[in-house]
Amino acid sequence: PFFASNTTLVAYFFGKEIWDSGAGLVAAILIAVCPGYISRSVAGSYDNEGVAIFALLFTFYLFVKAVNKGSLAWGLASAFGYFYMVFYFLDWVKHMLSDTKLFQEFLRITVTCAVAAGGIALGVGMASGYISPWTGRFYSLLDPTYAKDHIPIIASVSEHQPTAWSSFMFDFHILLFLFPAGLYFCFKRLSDATIFIVMYGLTSMYFAGVMVRLILVATPAVCLISAIAVSATVKNLTVLLRSKNKVAQIGSTKGTSSAKASSKASLDQSQPFQKNGAMALLFGAFYLLSRYATHCTWVTSEAYSSPSIVLAARGAHGNRVIFDDYREAYFWLRQNTPPDAKVMSWWDYGYQITAMGNRTVIVDNNTWNNTHIATVGRAMSSYEDEAYEIIRSLDVDYVLVVFGGVTGYSSDDINKFLWMVRIGGGVFPVIKEPDYLVNGEYRVDKGAAPKMLNCLMYKLSYYRFGEMMTEYGKPPGYDRARGVEIGNKDIKLEHLEEAFTTSNWIVRIYKVKPPNNRW
Amino acid sequence: MTVFSLVLLTYFMVVSGFVYDVIVEPPGIGSTQDPATGAVRPVVFLPGRVNGQYIIEGLSSGFMFVLGGIGIVLLDLALDKNRARSVKVSYAIAGISSVVIAYVMTTLFIRIKIPGYLRN
Repeated sequence: PFFASNTTLVAYFFGKEIWDSGAGLVAAILIAVCPGYISRSVAGSYDNEGVAIFALLFTFYLFVKAVNKGSLAWGLASAFGYFYMVFYFLDWVKHMLSDTKLFQEFLRITVTCAVAAGGIALGVGMASGYISPWTGRFYSLLDPTYAKDHIPIIASVSEHQPTAWSSFMFDFHILLFLFPAGLYFCFKRLSDATIFIVMYGLTSMYFAGVMVRLILVATPAVCLISAIAVSATVKNLTVLLRSKNKVAQIGSTKGTSSAKASSKASLDQSQPFQKNGAMALLFGAFYLLSRYATHCTWVTSEAYSSPSIVLAARGAHGNRVIFDDYREAYFWLRQNTPPDAKVMSWWDYGYQITAMGNRTVIVDNNTWNNTHIATVGRAMSSYEDEAYEIIRSLDVDYVLVVFGGVTGYSSDDINKFLWMVRIGGGVFPVIKEPDYLVNGEYRVDKGAAPKMLNCLMYKLSYYRFGEMMTEYGKPPGYDRARGVEIGNKDIKLEHLEEAFTTSNWIVRIYKVKPPNNRW
Repeated sequence: MTVFSLVLLTYFMVVSGFVYDVIVEPPGIGSTQDPATGAVRPVVFLPGRVNGQYIIEGLSSGFMFVLGGIGIVLLDLALDKNRARSVKVSYAIAGISSVVIAYVMTTLFIRIKIPGYLRN
C-alpha cells in the first residue's frame, strides 16, 4: 500500500510530463482508485506486482523525462530506474529458480554488461532448460492457443485466461470510454512523449486482452491516457465558460463598430446557449467521474477485500454467514496427525496446508514440477485400486479434498476435476478426458460416465453424501454446487478411511490405510 | 486519420473479448429451457461470472465502449472554432447522445450480468 501511494505520485508527474499538470492530477486520481491496480496492492491480495508496477511507471516516467530534456543526468536516472524494475523482476525470477549461486552469476552479468548481455544470459538459460516453464507462460501471450494445446497447467490458472468484456468493465469502468478519446487527443498533439504512451497503452491493452492478470500492467497506461482525455475535454469546456465572460466584457467596454464587433455580437447571441451547454457538460463529466469512484469503491469492497481463506455468503434472510472450514481442517491436521505425515491434495492448497497445517504436501502452488502434479492428477482420476498404488508409491498418509456440494461453494475440486484429468493426461496418456464426459458434457448425476462415477475424486467428495439432506424439497444427495442429485450414492472405500470432515463439508480429509497382510 | 481508425478497430476487437472468443469458443448466444413450457429461450448474457462471455454480448459491449469514445471525440470536434455553426451543433448533439447512450447501456449490461452490482 505504501508503494501504491508512491505510484499515484509518479502517475501525477508522468501525466504532467506527457500533457500538462491538469492531466497529471487526473491521472493520479484515476490510478488511486482503479480496481485494476488495487487488485494487487490491497491487503489480502498484495503481491510483488504492486511494487513492480510502481517501478515500471517510475522507469517510464524517467525515460520520457530523459527524452524530453535531452540531458545525460536524466538518462542515467532512467537507466537506474530501469535496473530497479529489472531487479524487482529478477527477484521474482530468483524465487522461481530457487538457486542463489546461479542467480548471483546471472545478476553480475546483467549489471556489468548492457541489455545485450542480459539477452545472452537469457538465451543460455533457455537452452539449458532451466527457464522453460517460464518461457511457456510468456510464449502464450504471443500465441494464445499455445497453452491450451500444449501446457494444460498454464491454461488451467484462472488468471491466465483470456479476458472477457466484463472483466475489462469491472476493472476499468468509464476509463474504457476515455481511452479511445485519449488516444485521439494524443494523435492530435503528437510528441515523443505522447507517441510513447500511445504505444505503451496499445500493446498493454492487447496483452491485457490475452491474459486477465495483465490488466494490471495495462492500468497505468489506461489511467494516463484517460486522464489526457478528461483534462483536454474539461479544458475545452472551461475555456468556453471563461471566454464568454471575457468577450462580453470586451464587447461592452470597447464597443467598436468594426466587423469584428458584429461577429462578436453574433457570437454573443449563441454564447448563452453555449455557456449553459458547457456547464451542463461539465456537470455531466463530474457525474461520470463520481460514478467511476463509486464503482471502484464497490468493486474493491466486494471483490478485492475478502481474505480468500474464510468464505462468506448471504443467508436466506440477508444475514452474513461465515464458513471457516479451511482453517478448521488445517488446524485439525496440525493437531491430530503425526508431525511427519504427508498430505496429498490438489496444488491450490499446498501453501495453505504447509503454513497452517504444518505438514508436508506432495504438490503446492509453486507448480514447478509438472510431472509430479500430473501424478497427483492421475491418482485423483483413477479407480481406487490404481490410485492406491500411486498413493503408496508417493508415501502419502492423508488425502485432502475440497467439496462444495453442501454449501454450494463452486470453487471445489469436483469443478476443478477436469483440469486434473487434462494435466494428468498430458503426461500419462492412459488418462483420457472423453472417458469422464458424456456427449462432451461433464456430469456427476445418474447419466454420468462410469469412469467419473468410480474415480477416486468422486468417491472422496461424495462419500456418505448420499444420505445427506442439503436442501428442503430435494432428494438426499443433492449437490448444491452442480445443482443435481448425484449418480452414485452407495460409495464404499477400500483403501482409505474418512478421518475428518469439516462442519460444512467443505474440506474432507481421508487417512490412507496400510496394505492388507498377505495371507 | 486512417491510423486512428485502425487503432479504434483494434481496440474494439480487444475490448469485446475477441481473444477470449477465439480460445474458449463460446457459443454466439446462450440458451436455456423454459421450465414451464419446455421451449428454448435465448440467453444473451452469460450469467454468474465476470470472466466469461458469449460472442454477441462481447461484441455489443465493445461497440458501446467505442461509441462512448467516439462521442467524446465528437464533442472535441464540436468545440473546434473553424467549422460552420450548424456542423458544430450537430457534432455536439451527436457527441453528447453517444456518450449518454453508451454509458447507460454499459451500466445496464453490467447490471444484467452481475445481479448484485452496487448492492452490498
